[in-house]
Amino acid sequence: MLKESLVSEFQKIVGKENVLTTPEALKAYSYDGTTSWIHEPDCVVFPKSTQEISEIMKIANAEKIPVTPRGGGTNVSGGSVPWLGGVVLCTTKMNTIVKIDKENLTATVEPGVVLQDLNMRLAKEGLFFPPDPQSFLGATLGGIIAENAGGPACVKYGVTKQYILGLEIVLPDGRITNFGGRTLKNVVGYDLLHIFISSEGTLGIITKAELKLNPIPPAKKTIMAVYAEIAMAGESVFRVLENGVIPGKIELLDNWVINRIEEMMPMGLPKDADAVLLFECDGIPEAVEKETEKIVEITKKYGAVDVRVAKDVDEANKYWMARKAGFAAVFGKAPTVMAEDVTVPRGKIPEFIKRCRDLAKKYDVEMCILGHAGDGNLHPAILSDIKNKDLYERALKAMDGIIEAAVEFGGVLSGEHGIGLEKQKFFRRTVDPVAVELMMKIKALLDPNNIMNPGKIWD
Amino acid sequence: MKDLTELKKIEKYADQCMKCGFCSFFCPVYQEERVETAVARGKNYLVKLALKGEQEFTPEMGDIIGKCLLCKRCAANCPSKTQIDRVVVGARAQMVKDKGLGFIKNFAFRKVMSNRKAFGRYLKLAKAFQWMFPKTEGNIRHLPDFLKGLGHGRNIPTLAKTFLRDMVKPVYKPTNGEKPKMRVGFFMGCATDFIYPELGLKLIDFLTKRGIEVVVPEAQNCCGAAIYFSGDFETGRMLAEENIKAFKDVDYVVTACGTCSSTLKDYQKYLPDNEDQQKRYEAFEKKIKDSTEFVIDVMKIPPEDFKLRKEFEGKTATWHDPCHLIRYQNIKDQPRAILKALKGLKYVEMPNADMCCGMGGSFSVYHYDLTKKIADKKMAGIKATGADIVVTACPGCMINLIDNALRNKMTQKVYHFLELVE
Repeated sequence: MLKESLVSEFQKIVGKENVLTTPEALKAYSYDGTTSWIHEPDCVVFPKSTQEISEIMKIANAEKIPVTPRGGGTNVSGGSVPWLGGVVLCTTKMNTIVKIDKENLTATVEPGVVLQDLNMRLAKEGLFFPPDPQSFLGATLGGIIAENAGGPACVKYGVTKQYILGLEIVLPDGRITNFGGRTLKNVVGYDLLHIFISSEGTLGIITKAELKLNPIPPAKKTIMAVYAEIAMAGESVFRVLENGVIPGKIELLDNWVINRIEEMMPMGLPKDADAVLLFECDGIPEAVEKETEKIVEITKKYGAVDVRVAKDVDEANKYWMARKAGFAAVFGKAPTVMAEDVTVPRGKIPEFIKRCRDLAKKYDVEMCILGHAGDGNLHPAILSDIKNKDLYERALKAMDGIIEAAVEFGGVLSGEHGIGLEKQKFFRRTVDPVAVELMMKIKALLDPNNIMNPGKIWD
Repeated sequence: MKDLTELKKIEKYADQCMKCGFCSFFCPVYQEERVETAVARGKNYLVKLALKGEQEFTPEMGDIIGKCLLCKRCAANCPSKTQIDRVVVGARAQMVKDKGLGFIKNFAFRKVMSNRKAFGRYLKLAKAFQWMFPKTEGNIRHLPDFLKGLGHGRNIPTLAKTFLRDMVKPVYKPTNGEKPKMRVGFFMGCATDFIYPELGLKLIDFLTKRGIEVVVPEAQNCCGAAIYFSGDFETGRMLAEENIKAFKDVDYVVTACGTCSSTLKDYQKYLPDNEDQQKRYEAFEKKIKDSTEFVIDVMKIPPEDFKLRKEFEGKTATWHDPCHLIRYQNIKDQPRAILKALKGLKYVEMPNADMCCGMGGSFSVYHYDLTKKIADKKMAGIKATGADIVVTACPGCMINLIDNALRNKMTQKVYHFLELVE
């Protein structure tokens, strides 16, 4: 429990209405987008400025109170759950788009800006922020940067870290500092900027960000390729790329997911297909036409039994709606869903999928696969029930096998969700021990009192 | 063991939520407050805790569950299709069961609103004091809100000189003297009865001119929206029974109020306590038609056959989607088809046409400041269209749109679509 006097200190800084302590409010800040990671904070503070955050951190550091930064709370790693209680520092009221610089294709934002709000505003200028975590309707930029989020557009556009030019940070001791800048190139000493991107809120609080933007491509085209064998879909991914076409997105849905989506919202997906790949090409119209032709040709050559090019925006939207519904389809189907975020080198996708399916059979669990095939980031999901002990244990074993396989194939534990609490138990097993030691030393250097989002990444 | 009957009924809806948080983008209340207790995910989580016995119905919990417009924008956009409106209303019902309605609501719902004569009396009383408040062209929706919610600096609407039910006949035959094509019951609704009587007369006139017999049962009561959406299912059920009885001999029940049509249709969703009620409420639902869908879907009037009244010629119009039409009844194309086809009228779509106006019935009484902020966004959308008039089909929305247009010193007038046509 927090001392009463501290609560009133916080109230003095941010105003009474911006400190929540009622049991109901604390419960509402005990979770994120995961199923089972729940812990209540002692209070929730809503700062409105960098200065206020700095003052809060000074107090927290002196009193050694845990501080967990949180934005929209849409993350799926347990990252914004206040695992050791203390303060949830919620940035949702710092949601100003400070500046859009059309000449330099940059934007300056506060951490609480929601990605969709940003992109709607940018669209008026013909611009967009390419990293596209699928939680864009609720995810805030602070969290997106802290988790180094990515999404379908990664194939062509990359992930968040490629679009951050500079950050304003409040360190755990309350000092305000700046990393990076406003330029595309920047080789001035160590690249501290990228230590903070994907730090999951364990090193400091992002209070302002300088973003790199792209112009909106004038044309888009969606292609759906249908496969009788999921491994063939996996192969098509790298065949398309090695033939010189880099689509904006390549997404994969397996038979199980296709059928759940059809149950939820019938849209004419091929229910007997083992898998489908969704491609989106974007760019100048002529190039998009050519790329589309090429994709149709290559996917047909490498085993697609049917290839459909969306004839208009409505049909294209329908397919992407299906992809978006994927996760809901999965999560709605079992009390406990273990959704993995492993990423393998693209060439290994067919082998990896085969291994996943073998594991599902071996442990007799229901599994489905959907994900960003274009960048090797797959989300195999195991349907389970934490109350059914036998099933749950088998699911855990299958999950272990999946992660081991990903590492064996040269991949990583998490492509875009981060470690947080969810993937903690695999962390040391899959990361080089020297790297872990260095990370912990960096953490100790910046946060000697271990107050910033404690309990995350490593146990 | 605590009685959780009402919560148990909505448990399966509450379980649908996978906590993705996408609702935050669609929630007008969250967009203003930006705290988790304002959004569907937070409310749903607390209800789930209550189901597990880990959350009491504290006053704070009451506030949290109360602070919802029931606009259903979150539910309409929920990837896992959580019907949060049912969760919220169910939770309110459980609280009413546990704690009883607050004094004001208790008095208003049980003593005044459910008694048509008393309702009229109190309204007359309120009317006598109207001179105290700034005169406007608008009107109000719910009397209890009017009594309690006076002040706040809002533009208080005037009440009709003569209430509709003092003007209407029980039966209107088709004006052409022919055998009626069908027999339709006209459901007045409080706002049309006490505030917009001309709207009711207009609807009767519109229907009888086109060969339809209209009956206006005297025994009809309030639809019950403010009552059962607040969780008073007992009074809600009583009203449902009265209304079903009053309209038993008609082919359809038609109303000019989007909230009423939706509320009458949804008796079967919220109120049944046993199978017999379930069956009868479902049968009643099939008879209910909002005026916007009735003219297009049942009467099958081709949109181009509607005639614009002279005074609207040359005007530019935009359409506001009442939550109770677009999301509760999926009515969005019918009014647009009419407006687009009306010769002499220019139609412009509003960027945020489906956004709640912020009224939310009694919500606007308890949270008028929030209502104003939410309405300001609506007003910005209206301004962006450059329209002269805002058209809608819900007197509740009309009241709020008029209040906020005046507050924003806007020139746009607000009309029901029936007022535009011959």
